[in-house]
Amino acid sequence: MNQVIEARGLVRRYPAEGSPIRAVDGVDLTVEAGETVSVMGPSGCGKSTLLHLLGGLERPDAGELYLGGQRVDGLSETQWAVLRRGSVGFVFQAFHLVDELTAVENVELPVLLLGGSRRDARRRAMELLERLGVAERAGHLPDRLSGGERQRVAVARALINQPLVVLADEPTGNLDSRATGEILRLFAELREARQALLIVTHDARVASTAHRLLTMRDGAIVAQTRLGAGTSAAAVLASLADLGGEG
Amino acid sequence: MRSLRLAGRLAARNLRRRPGQALLLLLTLTIATGVLGVAMSLYGSADQPWNRVWRATDGFHVSFNVYHPPDEPGDRALVERLRRRASQLTRAPEVVGVGGPWTHLYGRIQIAGGDEDLTAELRDPGPYQVDQPLVTAGQWLGQGDGVVLESGLAATLDAAPGDTVTLQGRPFPVRGVAMTVSRGRFPLSRPAQVWVTPQTGRRLRQLGMTPEGFELQVRLADPADAAAFADAHRSLEVSEGSSSLIAFLETWQHRRAESHSDIDILAGTLFAVGTLIAILTIATAAVLIAGRMAAQIRQVGTLKAVGVTPRQVVLVLLVEHLAIAAAATAIGLGIGRLLAPRIAATSVTLLGTPEPPPLTWTRVAIVAAVAFAVVLLGTVRPALRGIRQSTLRSLVSGARPPRRPGRLARLVANLGVPLPGVLGLRSAWRRPGRLLTNAAGLTLGVAMIVVALALRDSLELLAHTPPEPGHAASDAAVTVLYDQIRAIILGTAGLLLLLGTINAVIVATFAARDAARNHAVLRALGATPRQTVTALIVSQLGACAIAVVAGIPLGLGLWSLMDGGDLPPVRLPAALLLLAVAVPVAFAGIVGVPARLLARQPVAPLLAYE
Repeated sequence: MNQVIEARGLVRRYPAEGSPIRAVDGVDLTVEAGETVSVMGPSGCGKSTLLHLLGGLERPDAGELYLGGQRVDGLSETQWAVLRRGSVGFVFQAFHLVDELTAVENVELPVLLLGGSRRDARRRAMELLERLGVAERAGHLPDRLSGGERQRVAVARALINQPLVVLADEPTGNLDSRATGEILRLFAELREARQALLIVTHDARVASTAHRLLTMRDGAIVAQTRLGAGTSAAAVLASLADLGGEG
Repeated sequence: MRSLRLAGRLAARNLRRRPGQALLLLLTLTIATGVLGVAMSLYGSADQPWNRVWRATDGFHVSFNVYHPPDEPGDRALVERLRRRASQLTRAPEVVGVGGPWTHLYGRIQIAGGDEDLTAELRDPGPYQVDQPLVTAGQWLGQGDGVVLESGLAATLDAAPGDTVTLQGRPFPVRGVAMTVSRGRFPLSRPAQVWVTPQTGRRLRQLGMTPEGFELQVRLADPADAAAFADAHRSLEVSEGSSSLIAFLETWQHRRAESHSDIDILAGTLFAVGTLIAILTIATAAVLIAGRMAAQIRQVGTLKAVGVTPRQVVLVLLVEHLAIAAAATAIGLGIGRLLAPRIAATSVTLLGTPEPPPLTWTRVAIVAAVAFAVVLLGTVRPALRGIRQSTLRSLVSGARPPRRPGRLARLVANLGVPLPGVLGLRSAWRRPGRLLTNAAGLTLGVAMIVVALALRDSLELLAHTPPEPGHAASDAAVTVLYDQIRAIILGTAGLLLLLGTINAVIVATFAARDAARNHAVLRALGATPRQTVTALIVSQLGACAIAVVAGIPLGLGLWSLMDGGDLPPVRLPAALLLLAVAVPVAFAGIVGVPARLLARQPVAPLLAYE
């Protein structure tokens, strides 16, 4: 059993005047261990909502969801929280660092929540910050970090517990090319560790590093493209253009 | 002028958009202004009825009283000398009317099975140029035996014309009941007073009543000259020496001020209570406004970004809160005028129906000043902070950035405190301004509860003080006054508790709102709802602990200032111990409510929460 994520007919509606908006509209999806999947599509097509549903941050109105073979769509808030500790890592578009904790305290938090020792948590957090080039900013609070630094701290926090799956929403949106390259190298290591990665991105270069590209529109997956090794960003853009989507 | 109009428009819009917060601030302010309004309206509410009786009886402008203790023989020669010298008063050019001198006899009157001190004033049937007592039932003195009772005494005895009263152990018929401003109403004013003819006086002397002095009263061409007239004749006064005899001059204004001490005590108590509540309201308003400012920093940034000047930003906040203060002032004064006559009507010293005094600008200004001071003190600091922050920073941040980590937080982390506790303590430690603001509000709340407990305890002790022998009736009247004050104290304790609770609810709500995004992030990382609730409670308990540690001694300090050594010592250790435990438990419970409500919500919407 290599499927890390399996979603069947996931639906998420939001109330609106008239009929409710179907932000996610019957999505079927599987993600294998060690697989990287990119999700692209125009703004408001439901990419972030899909990510939230897969990580239990929102509840589906319909459909089934399995994580590591366990059905999880009916879990309580507490059960989801405990499950996320070791199984799900999030990278949010808006970073969502805890603004009362320093960079290193943010990164070590998932280890502490999982019951790890403070010493081990601090060591692993510092290693990751070192790799991402922000170790010298470890003692700073988030409001003293640049957007790129915050992004890298958020990535380190998502990876520190080596979760089954990393759900990343625009993980390189605020980074320059050099920092983007470092993040992508880290993501490549996830594959070797048999960790799954689902990336929502507008960046064709980031999307092109995935095994598969999902294209969403109006809450539904309208295309799946298997990307071979060495698929270029241009090829990704071309496949999107064929579908009339945004890159 | 244009700035003011713009500020007015924005303030009106803010008030419409956030009616709940505006109402909460209005409620807390109105509690303070309402109590002050009642106190203001109570002061002087007995003056109008007193003035009516004073006019109707041709009341005195200056009175000369000579008194010597009944159980001492007194200096008969000195009394006679004073009587002769007093005649110089009657010859003064300002004097247009003279009453007396009227001799006073001391004796005993039977009331409710016991005896009370009695003064019998000897009067011929009259009429008099000064102080013609206002007969409210029966007849004034005339031929034959009988007494006229002072109206308070008649009420206490439940006696009417035709009944008999027992003076010196003998029955005397009641001819009438009368009212005067020359004496306070029995039983709060002692001794009891009756008017008798010289003929009856002779009989009373045979029964053992003894002379205790006399009173001479004059009316002047201009009553406003009373104080100057009295000052000009101070040489008549006797207040020391080998004799116990005292002789003193008194103006009608002084007698009026002294005539309703129970109402003044109530008003004074309410005034002190209103001031204490106002102090507490400053903290409530500061917490409310600071919490709102934290949420409105973005709006301040937007206003500044579109060209609104810092002065205009402050104006918007001030106009908004001053409007609330103005409303609270008006409502408070209205409440005062409505309630004060009802409270004053319970007075045992009142001559007739109470009337609130005219609403002078001074009275309005005092209540308004308190309300305005509260909002100014609560608004200025957070407003100035919002202005000093750069426009860009205001636009990107939801609240003030936290402080750098401290040694204490590290120490707590190293002590093995569970993670939610560590997170809560870090949150509190890194926002010291918010911690201290919350702690200040809660500290005043705790201090006020301590004061209320001390007052209640002290009054209980007073109420259980054994009565003086021979004063059962007047002690009963004092008990009525204590009951009224106790009711005020208990009401105050209730109001303080309400304000403290409102304070705690405001602190808890804003704390939960402030922490909502951070706690959603924690849950996204794997913290359970229970852990986030615990973290929030721990983060707020620091302020509560400061409040308990600082509030109890502050309350005791305030009490010792108010007490002045006049009241019996209080026995509070048990109550204080209970308070020290109950306040944090209650506060944790209050904080837990919004924290749990937030913890029940899915994470994603909270991540977008501002």
